[in-house]
Amino acid sequence: MKLSKLIRPIGIALILLWSLAPIYWAINTSLQTDATAEARPAHYIPPAATLINFRTLLGIGKVITGYESVPDTIRRGLINIVVESAAATVITVVLALLAAYAFARMTFRFHRVIFYAVLATMALPAYSTLIPLYRIMISLHLVNTYTGIVLVYVSGFLPIAMWVLYSYLNGIPRALEEAGAVDGASRMQVLWRIVVPVAMPGIIATATITFLFGWSQFLFPLVLSSDSSTQPLTVVIASLQARHSAPFTLMNSAGVLAIIVPALITLLLNKYVVNGMLAGSVK
Amino acid sequence: MVTLTRAATTRRRTTIAGRDRALPYILVAPLVIFVIGLGLIPGIFTAVEAFFRVTPFHPPTQFNGIDNFIALARNSAVRVGAVNTLLYVVIGVAMATVLGVAMAVTLQRPFRFRTAVIAAMILPWALPGVVESVIWTWIYDPNSGVLNSVLHSLHLIDNYQVWIGNNRLVAITFIEIVQVWQMAPLCALLIFAALQAIPNELYEAARMDGCNAWRAFWRITLPLARPGIAIAMVQAVVNTLNIFDQAYLLNGASYTATSLMEQTYFITFQNLNFGQGYALSLVVTLATLVLSFLVVRLVYRKVEF
Repeated sequence: MKLSKLIRPIGIALILLWSLAPIYWAINTSLQTDATAEARPAHYIPPAATLINFRTLLGIGKVITGYESVPDTIRRGLINIVVESAAATVITVVLALLAAYAFARMTFRFHRVIFYAVLATMALPAYSTLIPLYRIMISLHLVNTYTGIVLVYVSGFLPIAMWVLYSYLNGIPRALEEAGAVDGASRMQVLWRIVVPVAMPGIIATATITFLFGWSQFLFPLVLSSDSSTQPLTVVIASLQARHSAPFTLMNSAGVLAIIVPALITLLLNKYVVNGMLAGSVK
Repeated sequence: MVTLTRAATTRRRTTIAGRDRALPYILVAPLVIFVIGLGLIPGIFTAVEAFFRVTPFHPPTQFNGIDNFIALARNSAVRVGAVNTLLYVVIGVAMATVLGVAMAVTLQRPFRFRTAVIAAMILPWALPGVVESVIWTWIYDPNSGVLNSVLHSLHLIDNYQVWIGNNRLVAITFIEIVQVWQMAPLCALLIFAALQAIPNELYEAARMDGCNAWRAFWRITLPLARPGIAIAMVQAVVNTLNIFDQAYLLNGASYTATSLMEQTYFITFQNLNFGQGYALSLVVTLATLVLSFLVVRLVYRKVEF
């Protein structure tokens, strides 16, 4: 009896340990120099916390010797990942909302055919179109451009976003919209003035998971950007690691830098992220 | 009265619809253009050009039947990658499913701070796989990694170990743990949602009949969670079959733990043999579809309360 009472607290403790310990370890390492980070046994809290790694990455003040060129690529990567994820999110959510509204509220020819055809593409693994997308972007001269990367992101995220918003719209009663229509508002006015405010939780959920998808991308931007002009932070970090020379304290600091934004979104907009994950059940 | 209202509503709807017949097409057009232009057409490209010789620096492109597939079958890196990918799938799906069920059952009944625990749980799902691989590379480090440090302090190992080294099964298991870290939260959440639908009366009735918690788990929880478990397992199958980020960063170009997606990348973008890249993509895609379908057939059961 006593043992069974203990199972759940132990389970909860294990969930927290499993989920957070690796992140804690990255933060712990990022605040050390190689000298202390390589100690045996490891230091479970930084013996002399330092921000030298973050200064080196961002190019603030004194940096680690030999890594003077790193801040440029890191800063570029940060700008790129924000621009690409944000642009893809805005375009995806707007286009998905328009389509979801049509599918949820209007009757038109080929309604079901188009709807299920779009959903069917979600069954295909994202990488199945990697090579042809690369060749299409080459022929359109869109390699190493934001446009190319964002177009690919949007095409990948649109079906899921549409599905999440469609499910959400289907859960909203139509009475409000019909009242609006009686007042003489056009379809687009109804969508903008009545549907969008009511559907806002669904729109935020869609936006958060879309943004997180964008922030996580690696193979697509790796292939679609051959120089640092459009490489997002994920690609920059991978190439830093591939050089094998970068110290691990610096790599972990770069990792911490890259997870601040998605971690904040997940913790602050938790309810929306969970709803989005469940409605989209993807990734 | 009721019929009257309904008739009025129907008439109202038809007038709205009639007002602008083109509108729905305009609204879905951008989505359709994206899906066709950057989804369907590339998909057809992959399926067709898998049977062509496509090497951008040695044109022309010409039909070569199943030559690409034969070349892939003869390529030892691809053969190793195929076996490895199978191991990734088996190990990853098993770990993610068991962990997902365990976490979901732990969270099944409400408690204080449950929302906060769920927030912490889904954190690894939200982070980029590349960054997670960097973090875990350091955790696994053979010289100063914390895994070695902890195991050594607990006297579970005598010497610091190389986890991602020449032992294929060990390397694959440890790389897969990183992917499981990322995808288990989604599995847990999907199963958790299925558990929330189970009526509490079922558990109360079972307890009245003298059924203990362990038996209730096997007789009630697990069978009724099958829809959630099926979706979770399909997610895990798709992810593990297409594993790239974790293998690319933790394993690098070494043969030991290479995956099929890694080989697709090397063949296409380093050897510039697009035809074979297409062929391998096609194989992975078909394997994903077949395996997902099998999981749904075997695991999914419609549940009604």
